[in-house]
Amino acid sequence: MTLSADRPRDPATAVPPRRPPSFWNGVARVFDLSIGEMLWSRRTLFMAIVLGAPVLLALVARVVQAAGIAPLRVDGAPVSGPATFGILVWWVYLRFIVPVLGMFYGTALLADEVEDKTLTYLFTRPVARSAVLIGKYLAYCVCTGLVVLPSMTIVFLLLVPFEEMGSELATLLTDLGLLAVGLAVYGAVFTLAGTAMRRPLVAGLVFAFGWEQIAMLMPGYLRRFTLVYYLQGLVPHAIPDEGLASLLAAVISEPPTVATCLIALAGALVVSLWLAVRVVERREYVLEQ
Amino acid sequence: MTVIATEHLSKWYGQVSGLNDVTVVVPSGVTGLLGPNGAGKSTFMKLVTGQLKPSQGQVRVLGEAVWGNPKLFLRVGFCPEQDAFYERMTGLEWVTALVRLSGFPPADAAAVASRALETVDLLDQADKKIGAYSKGMRQRVKLAQALAGDPELLILDEPLNGMDPIMRRRTMQLIRDWGREGRSVLVSSHVLHEIESLTSNVLVINNGRIVAEGNVHQIRELIDEHPHTVFIRAQEPRALARDLLAEDGVVSLRFEPGALVVETSRPDAFYARLTEMAARGAAGAIEEVTSPDDNLQAVFSYLVKS
Repeated sequence: MTLSADRPRDPATAVPPRRPPSFWNGVARVFDLSIGEMLWSRRTLFMAIVLGAPVLLALVARVVQAAGIAPLRVDGAPVSGPATFGILVWWVYLRFIVPVLGMFYGTALLADEVEDKTLTYLFTRPVARSAVLIGKYLAYCVCTGLVVLPSMTIVFLLLVPFEEMGSELATLLTDLGLLAVGLAVYGAVFTLAGTAMRRPLVAGLVFAFGWEQIAMLMPGYLRRFTLVYYLQGLVPHAIPDEGLASLLAAVISEPPTVATCLIALAGALVVSLWLAVRVVERREYVLEQ
Repeated sequence: MTVIATEHLSKWYGQVSGLNDVTVVVPSGVTGLLGPNGAGKSTFMKLVTGQLKPSQGQVRVLGEAVWGNPKLFLRVGFCPEQDAFYERMTGLEWVTALVRLSGFPPADAAAVASRALETVDLLDQADKKIGAYSKGMRQRVKLAQALAGDPELLILDEPLNGMDPIMRRRTMQLIRDWGREGRSVLVSSHVLHEIESLTSNVLVINNGRIVAEGNVHQIRELIDEHPHTVFIRAQEPRALARDLLAEDGVVSLRFEPGALVVETSRPDAFYARLTEMAARGAAGAIEEVTSPDDNLQAVFSYLVKS
C-alpha cells in the first residue's frame, strides 16, 4: 500500500492478507461496531426515561411501605410485595416496556443507518447483508437487555421483602428470562417491519397497542395470533383472586403450555428474522442526496 | 483490461430515469466520470457498487457481477459522496471498524487503519472524534476507509469536494499514483479541470446518458468547436470591442453594463490576443475576464447538441 501520496510503495508496509469474514465473523464485527453506537444513541435517553418509571414507582412503594401503609390495595386487601412485583412485570414490563423498546429499536436497526446515510459503509464491505442485519439485531438484544434486566432487578430488590427474596429468587430469574425472550421476539418482529415497511413505527404501534390489546380481549382463537398470548403463558406469578388481579386472571385464562409458548415464540423469532434477512438481501436502500 | 463493463444499463426510480441505456467499458487506470449535478453520476456509482439493482441491463466489475456479491468488496474500495459518519467515533476507531469489516484480522486492523490515515495526512488527528472534524478532514477520513484495504479498484464519488487546495493537490497526486501503480480508479466530479488534472480518460454523463467517452482532450476539442463565451469587464468596453471585432474567430459581441461579452470559435487565439491587448493597455484596463462556459452545464449542452 502506498502510505503517502509523496512516497513510493514500501514492501515493509505491505497490507497484510485478508479473507472475507465468515457469516458469524461478519455478525460479530457488525455487532462490535453497532453496540457502542446503539448504547450512546438518542434512543438510550428515551429508554432510560421509560425504564426509570417502574424503578421510581417501586421506590415510592417502598417508602410508603416503610411508613406502614400498604402501597397497593385490591378491594381493600393489601397486595404483597412479590404480587406487586408480578403485576409490574406483567403490566409494565411485558405489556408496555418490552413492546415499546422492541418497536423503537427493532424498526430502527437499518432505518437509522439509512437516515444517517451510513448504510453505504456496511453494504460496500465483503460482508453479507444478512450478517449486517443479524449483527445489529444481536446488538439490540444486548443493548436493551443490559438496561432492562438491571431495571427489573432493582424493582425486585425494592418491592420484595428481604426475608422473602430467597424463596422468590427463582421467580426473579424466570422473569428475567421471560423479559429477555420478550425483547428478542418483539425485536425480531419489529426488525422485519423495519426492513420491509416504509412506515414501520406506525405499523408497530398498531400491532403492539392496537391488535395485541384488542385480540387479547376477544374470545376465540384470535389471541393466538399475538405474541403477548404466548408470553403470558410463561408468567410464573400466582394470580390473586380478586379485583385487578382477577382481571389479570381473566385475561390470561386458558393459558397455553410452557412448551407451546416457547415453540410459538421461537417460531415467531426465527420466521421474522428469516423474512427480514430475505428482504434486506433483495431490497435497495436509496439514500437521499 | 476492463475494470467496469455495463450493457444497456438503465435505472428508474419509479417514473424518473436515473440512468438510461448505458453501455460502456471502463479500462484499467484512472477514469473520470464527469457530469453536472443530477446527471446520473451517483446512480452510476451506486450501480457499480451494488447498492442499486439495475432496472435493465447488466453491470460487471472486475469481471464479476455486483448485485448480491459482497465478496467483490475485497477488491473494491468505495468513497461515497455523502457526508455521513458515526460522529461519536474517532477517525481511527471508525476506519479500524470498517477495516475489520473488510476482512482484516483484528490484530492487523488498527495498523492498516493507521496507515490509511497516514496516507491522507490525518494520522495526527486520528484520535479526535469525527464530529469535531472539518469538512476537509471528513473527506479525507472517508477516503482513508476506501483505500485502507489496498483495493484493485477505487471508486470515488466527488472526493475532492470541500478539501483545501493543498490537500486537493495531494489527493489528486494520490489518485494519479494509484493509477500509475497499475491499479484502477473511477473518480466522479462535476468540475472539468479537476478531471483533466487527474486523467485523460473520461466518461461524460448527462441526463442519465453517457454523452461522450474517451480522451479528455478530444472532448475539450469537441467543446472548443463550439463558440466559447468570454465575459470581459473593462474600463473602455467599446474601444475593446472595436479592436476585437477585427479578430479572426470572433462570432459575436454584446455589451453589458461596464463589460463586453464575446463569443469566439478560437478561444486559445482569443485569450492570447486579449492578454497581449491587456499588456499594451490599448483599450484601457481590463479588470476581469471570466468564461461562463466554465459552467459545466454549458459544456454538456454543447456536447448534447453536437
